[in-house]
Amino acid sequence: MIRIAAVGDVHVDKDVEGRYRPALEQLPDQADALLIAGDLTRHGTVDEAKCFANEFGGLAVPVVTVLGNHDHQSDRQDDVTDVLTDAGIIVLEGTATVLELNGHRLGVAGTKGFGGGFAGACASNFGEREMKDFVGTTERYATALLDALRSVQCDALVALTHYSPVPDTLAGEPLEIYAFLGCYQLGQAIDDAPTALALHGHAHHGSERGRTPGGVPVRNVAHPVIKQAYNVYQLLSGTVDTKHEELVNV
Amino acid sequence: MTRQIDLEADIHRLLVEDDRIAEQGVTVHHRENVLVLDGEVESAQRRDEICRQISEHYPDLEIVCDIGLTRTQAPAEVEEIS
Repeated sequence: MIRIAAVGDVHVDKDVEGRYRPALEQLPDQADALLIAGDLTRHGTVDEAKCFANEFGGLAVPVVTVLGNHDHQSDRQDDVTDVLTDAGIIVLEGTATVLELNGHRLGVAGTKGFGGGFAGACASNFGEREMKDFVGTTERYATALLDALRSVQCDALVALTHYSPVPDTLAGEPLEIYAFLGCYQLGQAIDDAPTALALHGHAHHGSERGRTPGGVPVRNVAHPVIKQAYNVYQLLSGTVDTKHEELVNV
Repeated sequence: MTRQIDLEADIHRLLVEDDRIAEQGVTVHHRENVLVLDGEVESAQRRDEICRQISEHYPDLEIVCDIGLTRTQAPAEVEEIS
């Protein structure tokens, strides 16, 4: 089995340093890896990225992240990524990584994603240049996620995004802003690959559980939703574990 | 009614766009002269700064702050995904 800890929207700055650390120190007993679904910082500054790296770096389990919209606020997302990468944190954007855990291969494909809306209330790639740019961005992130999901060979595949791939996990948010919280194209990408679990954040007032139209479990792990330092999800429950170097199911 | 909604929108934009706040997860409800704030933030300083900025911008409003702090304890349960 593989146990994945997950949280999003931690918005770290100086005033948050130290708050998560006691729970993070317990991670090796709780989970095999930590996935963080974006909005790592408040404004996406390099200083805030360093605070995040201090708080979530140097852990005894691998840490995999995507960036969120807050992490783009200062237009320093590339520098933020560099700070995190230097701290040993994996940052995905239209890319994937494979972690070898307990003799299993966990694939994680990630993107920030974007808004756009869902069936019956979604934006169209039509009309003004601004609207076509908006929906073009939606489609570009979704295509990047699909390519990343299909790029890995693994025993269990997880999609990690900041924006939501389904409306189910937005329940609790005003209907009027669903189109700014996610898009159906991310859900299509997740369904077009052998995805076992999709994790996202962004919707602070949403709800935790949902499924894509194709039946893939979706979990909104935004910190205000899960109300603890991280949730833990178990995959491959019926499999035999071995040491890292003795892979099974490859 | 329209003016009331416009005020909620103005304050919501202040909460997001003011660099000292930058919170998208706080809801705003305006009833008569009372402003109710709801949601969760990551520190007491952030909650206090929200109330301070709104008081400065709208000194005639009474503010009811129901903003809580997110909890950071380790989980006690594991969900099996199937």
